[in-house]
Amino acid sequence: MQITFTVNGEERELEVTPYTRLLDLLREDLGLTGVKEGCGKGECGACTVIMNGELTASCLVPAPQADQAEILTVEGLGTRDDLHPIQESFVEAGAVQCGYCIPGMILAGKRLLDENPQPTEKEVRYGLSGNICRCTGYAKIIDAVMMAADKLAVEGSDSND
Amino acid sequence: MIRKSPMKQENRQTISGADFEEYFQPQNLEKALEIKAEYSDQIEVAAGTTDLLVANYEQLHQIKNWLDLDKIDELRKIEILENELHIGAMVTHLQLMKSDLIKEKLAVLAAAAEDVGSPQIRSRGTIGGNICTSSPAGDLLAPLLSYEASFKLQKAGAERIVRAEDFFTGPKRNLMEADELLTEIIIPLTENEREGAWVKVGRRKALVISTLTLSVVLEFEADKIIEAGIALGSVAPTPIRLWEVGELMLGSSLTELDYKQLGQEVKARINPIDDLRGTREYREDVAADVMVRALNEIERKRG
Repeated sequence: MQITFTVNGEERELEVTPYTRLLDLLREDLGLTGVKEGCGKGECGACTVIMNGELTASCLVPAPQADQAEILTVEGLGTRDDLHPIQESFVEAGAVQCGYCIPGMILAGKRLLDENPQPTEKEVRYGLSGNICRCTGYAKIIDAVMMAADKLAVEGSDSND
Repeated sequence: MIRKSPMKQENRQTISGADFEEYFQPQNLEKALEIKAEYSDQIEVAAGTTDLLVANYEQLHQIKNWLDLDKIDELRKIEILENELHIGAMVTHLQLMKSDLIKEKLAVLAAAAEDVGSPQIRSRGTIGGNICTSSPAGDLLAPLLSYEASFKLQKAGAERIVRAEDFFTGPKRNLMEADELLTEIIIPLTENEREGAWVKVGRRKALVISTLTLSVVLEFEADKIIEAGIALGSVAPTPIRLWEVGELMLGSSLTELDYKQLGQEVKARINPIDDLRGTREYREDVAADVMVRALNEIERKRG
C-alpha cells in the first residue's frame, strides 16, 4: 500500500506494508538514521520523532497510521554547519556522552520549548520523562535544555528589534 | 514536489500479493462496524497501537487482518450531551489531560491521563485502548469506576450500554463480543461540588506499570459527602470499586471521618497478588497509606 507524508518539510510517497513501523520507514527507506531503535517497545524514547506536533515513539506507529502526517526528525532541525540552538546547547553543556539517546532528547526538548519557552527544571524533567539516557547523563541534558531556553529567548528578542 | 522513494529491497521480501486488502482504515464508524461484523475475532483492532505493537513485537507480520480506527474522526470527540460527558474511544491521553472540559468536570481522570506512560505514549494511546486492553493496571480504569462511567459497545445495527464496573471480567478480559467495538465512554455529570484525588504508585514517575492506583471522587452537598467513588487498580484481577468503603463515608463531612480507619477498610477489601512490581503485603499497606493521603489532599483542596 502507498502512503504520503511530509518528513522534515519534504513530501514523500512510499510503498509500505501494514507491519512496517514508522521507525523502519524512516531509517531504512529514507536513511534518516538519527532515529534510533532502543527497546522497540516505546519505553526508551530513542526513536522519538515529532509527528503532527507531538512527541511520538516511532517504533509504535504502523506505517499506514503515518499517512498524511507531518514528521520532524533530528535531521530536520539543523545542519552540521548551522546547528539549531538546542543542538548548540547540547554541545556547549557537554550533554552528549555515547549519543544514542540524544536525537530523542533534543526533539523532546524542542517540543517542550515550543509549548513552554521558559520551563522550570521540574518541567524539563517532565518533558524529557519519556527519554532514557543509559550513560545517566541527565544533569547536563537538563542543563542543555535550560540553556537552549535562554538562547531562544535572546534570539526571539533580537528578531523583535 | 513529491519525491517517490522506492522500497528498499530487503524490506520487500515478505510482501506477497498486489496490495494489503486485509488492512482496513475506514473513514467512518459505520464502515468499521461492517468490517468487524464480517471478520469478528479474526481481525486486530488498532487504535493508538501502544499495546498492539508491543504485544506483537517482532511478529507484526503475523497479524493477518487489521482494523485501524485512526481515521474515524467521530471517535475523537469530547462533548457534553444532556448532563453527561461523552468521550470518543479514540480520544488520546494527551487530549484528556489538556481538555478544559475534562480538567474541570473529571479532574481525577485528567490527572490519571497525565500519569500514563510518557509524552510519547500519551500522544498516541487512547482511552478506548486502555479500556479494551483491560489490564488491572490500566491507569484510566479506576477513575472511570469512581465516576460511574458506562461504555457504549456497538455492532452493525445494534448497540448496548455497559457499566464500567460490569465490563471488566478478569486480567485482560472483558465482556465485549467479537463483533463489537467500544465507541464511547459516557460519564454522568453533577451540579454538586465534586472533589477528588488520584494516586499512582510505581517504581518510577514515568513509563511505569502501576504497582497500585487509587482514585477517590467525593461529591459534596454543603460539607456533607453524598457520593464517594473509591476505586483501585492493580490490587485485584480487575480494577475495583469499593462501594462499602464509600458507604461508610456518606452523610459525614470530611472532619468527621477517621482517615486512618478508612485506610484500613480499603486494605481489608482488596485482593492483590505478589508480582514483579510489589508484594501482596506491600500493596495492602500502601493502599491504606494512599487512602489517607488522598483524603488529606481532598481536604487541602477544599481549604
